[in-house]
Amino acid sequence: MIERDVSFDATAYSADAIQRAAYRFSDRLSLDLQRVNGNYVCTLRLKDDLADQANDVLADFRNEVLDQTLRERIRSETEGVRNVILALAFSNTGLTEPSE
Amino acid sequence: MSKFRLAEAFSAASDEWELLPFRFERFSPERVLVTNMVGEHLFLTGREFDDFMGRRLPNDSPLVRRLRAKHVIRQPNEQLPLDLLALKTRTRYRRLPMFTGLHIFVVSLRCEHSCPYCQVSRQSEDKASFDMSEETARRALDAVFRSPSSQIKIEFQGGEPLLNFQLIKDIVAEAKLRNLEEGRNLGFVIATNLALLDDEVLDFCGENDIYLSTSLDGPADLHNRNRPRPGNDSWERAVAGIRRVRETLGADRVSALMTTTERSLDRVTDIVDCYLEQGLREIFLRPLSPYGFAIKTKSFAAYDADRWLAFYEEGLEYILELNRRGLDVTEIFAAIILKKMLTNDDPGYVDLTSPSGIGIGALVYNYDGDVYASDEGRMLAEMRDTTFLLGNLHENSWEELILSPALLEPLEQSFTLSAPMCNECAFEPYCGADPVYHQATSGDYLGRKPVSSFCRRNMHIFKLLLERYESDPFAREIFLGWAGR
Amino acid sequence: MIALWGRASQVELAAPLERAVWLLIDRETATSHRHARAYLVGDEPEDELPECDLYVTHHGRTLNGGRSFIQLPERFDYLTAGDILGFDSKGERVNVLWRHESLQNSVLLTERCDHYCLMCSQPPKNVDDDHLLDNAFELVRLLPQTTREIGFTGGEPTLYGDSLIKLLRLCRNLIPHSAVHVLSNGRRFSNLDFALDWAGIDNPNQMVGIPIYGPEPALHDYVVQSQGAFDHTVAGILNLGRLQQRIEIRVVVHKQTAPHLVEIAEFISRNLPFVEQVALMGLEMIGFARANINDIWIDPIDYRNELTEAVTLLDRKGLRALVYNHPLCLIDREVWPYAVRSISDWKNEYHPECLRCSVAHDCSGFFYSAKYRHSDHIKAIDPRGDAMHALPLLELAGR
Repeated sequence: MIERDVSFDATAYSADAIQRAAYRFSDRLSLDLQRVNGNYVCTLRLKDDLADQANDVLADFRNEVLDQTLRERIRSETEGVRNVILALAFSNTGLTEPSE
Repeated sequence: MSKFRLAEAFSAASDEWELLPFRFERFSPERVLVTNMVGEHLFLTGREFDDFMGRRLPNDSPLVRRLRAKHVIRQPNEQLPLDLLALKTRTRYRRLPMFTGLHIFVVSLRCEHSCPYCQVSRQSEDKASFDMSEETARRALDAVFRSPSSQIKIEFQGGEPLLNFQLIKDIVAEAKLRNLEEGRNLGFVIATNLALLDDEVLDFCGENDIYLSTSLDGPADLHNRNRPRPGNDSWERAVAGIRRVRETLGADRVSALMTTTERSLDRVTDIVDCYLEQGLREIFLRPLSPYGFAIKTKSFAAYDADRWLAFYEEGLEYILELNRRGLDVTEIFAAIILKKMLTNDDPGYVDLTSPSGIGIGALVYNYDGDVYASDEGRMLAEMRDTTFLLGNLHENSWEELILSPALLEPLEQSFTLSAPMCNECAFEPYCGADPVYHQATSGDYLGRKPVSSFCRRNMHIFKLLLERYESDPFAREIFLGWAGR
Repeated sequence: MIALWGRASQVELAAPLERAVWLLIDRETATSHRHARAYLVGDEPEDELPECDLYVTHHGRTLNGGRSFIQLPERFDYLTAGDILGFDSKGERVNVLWRHESLQNSVLLTERCDHYCLMCSQPPKNVDDDHLLDNAFELVRLLPQTTREIGFTGGEPTLYGDSLIKLLRLCRNLIPHSAVHVLSNGRRFSNLDFALDWAGIDNPNQMVGIPIYGPEPALHDYVVQSQGAFDHTVAGILNLGRLQQRIEIRVVVHKQTAPHLVEIAEFISRNLPFVEQVALMGLEMIGFARANINDIWIDPIDYRNELTEAVTLLDRKGLRALVYNHPLCLIDREVWPYAVRSISDWKNEYHPECLRCSVAHDCSGFFYSAKYRHSDHIKAIDPRGDAMHALPLLELAGR
C-alpha cells in the first residue's frame, strides 16, 4: 500500500468532483477525504503493484478531478434545458412523433 | 449582385452560445469524444476541446458550426434544437411503454447434452419433475397477453425444449387462438440444439412460422468439446439440423449463437469460417456469462476481459476483411451497438439497454411456474441466488409479478442515468444496465464500474467502433449498413 | 432545347379569346366536346375541319371562312394533340403549358418567392401573377385521368395559401391516380393549420419537395438568403412528418453545399428520418447561379467523393437517395444506381463527347445552360467501363 496526499483548494474544487474522480480510479486506489482549513486533503492509497507508476497515477488523478469539475459545470449549465427537453419529449401533445 | 448578402450576414448572431446537455471522454491527449443527449458523437482535438470549454472558439468557426449541427450548443433561446432533441429522445425511448416483448417458456429442464458451462439443465428422464405442465403453460399465456406490447415473441427454451415437443405444440396452438382476439404481432422461436430435429418438428415449424435458434460454437472439435452428448456428435447434428432447416423452411429460418469458452479464444477465424460454411451470415461474438455451471467448473475464471477483447477484435477485423472481399457477413454485437450510435432506433436487445431489459424486455416462465426477470436471472437462481425470482404463476397475479420489488428495485438502482460513473459517461447512450451480471459478480445491482468486466469490455468496444468509424471509410460504410438493419 | 413560348406568326380571331387555356385536339382525338378545345390543323383540306372555337395552324397555313386561327412558327411543329397551350387574349403570345408526351411536365404557379437563393434558376419577381394560378386550375380540368405526373413549381407555391390547397384538392378529385409533386421551401408548413389543410387533401399520390442546404442554420440561411429560414423549414417538415405526409428533401449541390454534403446527409438521416427520399441535385447554370458563378460553380468531379459518401450514408440508413442532373462520367460508379435520367427533356443537351459514350442513353445529359459553364472532365464511357481518352473539349457555341 502506497500512501500519498493530494490537496485541492476547496473554493475551486468540490468534494463531489473529487469523489467522482476517486470512484473512477477505484480499481487503482482508495480515497480518504478530509476538509482541512480551506482545502480538501485526499489521502490516496495505491496498490503496491503500482509503485513505479505512482507519479503517473497521481497526475492522472489530478487531471480526472479537473475533468470532473468540468463535468460538474456542464451539468449545472445544462440541467435546466435538459429538463425542458425531457418534458417536451414525454409530453402528451396529442401528436405523435413523425412516424417512419 | 449587391442584393445578395454575404455569408457573414447569416452566421450566428450571438457569441453567447448556450450548452446543450453533452458528455465527454478523453481517448488520448489528442482526441476527445463528445456525445450529445441522444448519443450523436463528434471528435475534437484536446486543444479544440479546451478552447471550446474556455469559450475561446471564434464565433463562426467550422467547429462551432459542427457543434451546433450536432446539437451540442445552441444560440440563446433557440427553440428548434430543443424540439429536435426532444423528438430524438422520444424516439429512443418509444419502446418502453410497450413492455414485455419477449416471453421465454422453459418447457423442460431435461437435456441429453452435458455442457460444462450450462447453467440449467438436468440429466434426467423424470418428466414429471422437470417438464412444464399444461396448467403452468396456460397461466404463463395469461401473463403473456397481459403485456401491453403489440409485438410478442414466445421463445421455447430448456434444457432441450424439443424433449417436451407436445407442450410446445399446445402452447403455439393456444397462443394463436387467443391472438385472434388479441391481434398482436405474434412470433415463435425454439432455442434448440437441433439434435432431435425430425420431420414432425420441421413440418410444425413450417406450418406455424416458427423460427429456430441453435448453438454453434465453431468447428467440430471446439463445439463437441464444449457440448458432450452420448455419441459425441453434437456438432454433426447441429450442422445437419441447420442444413435441413435452411433447405426445407428457408435460409432465414434458423440462426445460431455461439458460446465462448476459454478454448474459443484462439480460434475466432475458425469459428467465423465455420459459420460461413453453414451458410450463416450473422455471428454474435459473445462473452462467457458468469452464471451456472460456468462458475462451478471455473471456466469463467479461466480468462479475463482482456483476452476476450483480443478475441473480439481479431474476429471483428476478420469479418471486416471478409466484407472487403465481397462477403456479406455481420457481427451482431457491433450491429446492436452501431444502431444505438448511428440512429435513434432501439435494437431491442434486452441485455444492453437502460432501463435494464429485465421484466420490461423479457420475462421467463420456468417449468415449475417460477417467473424470473430474465434468463440470466434464472441461471443465477441455479446458483442459489434467487434475487431475480419475481414469484410463481400458481401463487401470484400478474400485477404482483410485474410490480414486485424484486423487479422494480434493480430497475431503479441500475438505471444508468442515475448510476455512479454511468451518469457522466459519454458512452451511456450506447450502453445498458445489467443488474443480473453485477449481482452475480459483485453482489449488488450496480457493481463498481471501474472493476466491472461488463464496463471494461463495453467501453473498449465503443472506443474501437467509434475510432474505426472515423478513420476507415470502408468500415464506416459497413457499419452504417449494420446500423440500418 | 424545345421552344416553350413565343409569338404567333399570324393571328386572325373573330373576337378576343375568352379563355387563356386550350387543349389541342386533332382528327383522331376530336369529339363532340368543344369546350376549351383548339383544333390542331394537319394537312386535311379546310372543308374537312370539324366545328371548333379555335384552330391552330403551322407551316404558314391560313384558314378562310371566318374561322378563328392562330398560326405558329416552325419551332412549334412538335406540338401534338393532347398538348395544352396558353394564349393571351389577342392570341399573339403562346405558352406551351403541357406536353402530352413528356414525362416531366411542371407547372409554374408564380414567380414570387420569399427566398432569394444564391443559385435560383427562376429568380423571384414581385409581380401579380395570379393568372398563372388561374391557368393551372384550367389546365388540371383539361388533363386526362391517364396523366402520370404533374409538378407544381415557382417561386414559392405556398404563397397562395388556401388557393394552393384548392388546386391540389382539384388534382385529387379530377386526376386521383396522378403523382402530384409540389416544390416548396416548406416554411408555411410551420403553421400547423396550413399543414393540417395540406394533409386534409388526403392524396396518397401527393408529395412535397423541400430543400435543405445545411446541417445548421448559418449555411442554409446564407444559401437561401433569409434569416430564420432553416428553423421555419425544419419546423414545417416536422409538422408534415407528424401528419404522415410524403416528403422529399432536395439538396442542390454547389460550391457552398458540396463541402458539407455528408454533414447534411447526417443531419437529415438523424433528425428527419421519416422523409421518403432525399434528392441530390446537380446545378442548373441559369438565373442567379450565373450571376453568382464564383460563389456557386464547382466542377462536380471535385465533389465526387462527398457525393458518394452522402449517398452511401443515406442508403445504408434506409433512406432512398436519388441523384439528379449529374452526367454519369462525373460521378463514381457506385453512385450510378442512384442516378436518375432526370433533366426535363426540354432542357436537355449533350456534349460532343457523349456521341461515343456507351451509357449516354441512361445519362441525364446536361442542362442547356451548361454552355455557360460545365465540367472540364466530360468523358465518354466505353463499354468496358474505362473512360476513353478525352478529346479536346468543344464549345457548345452556336446552339
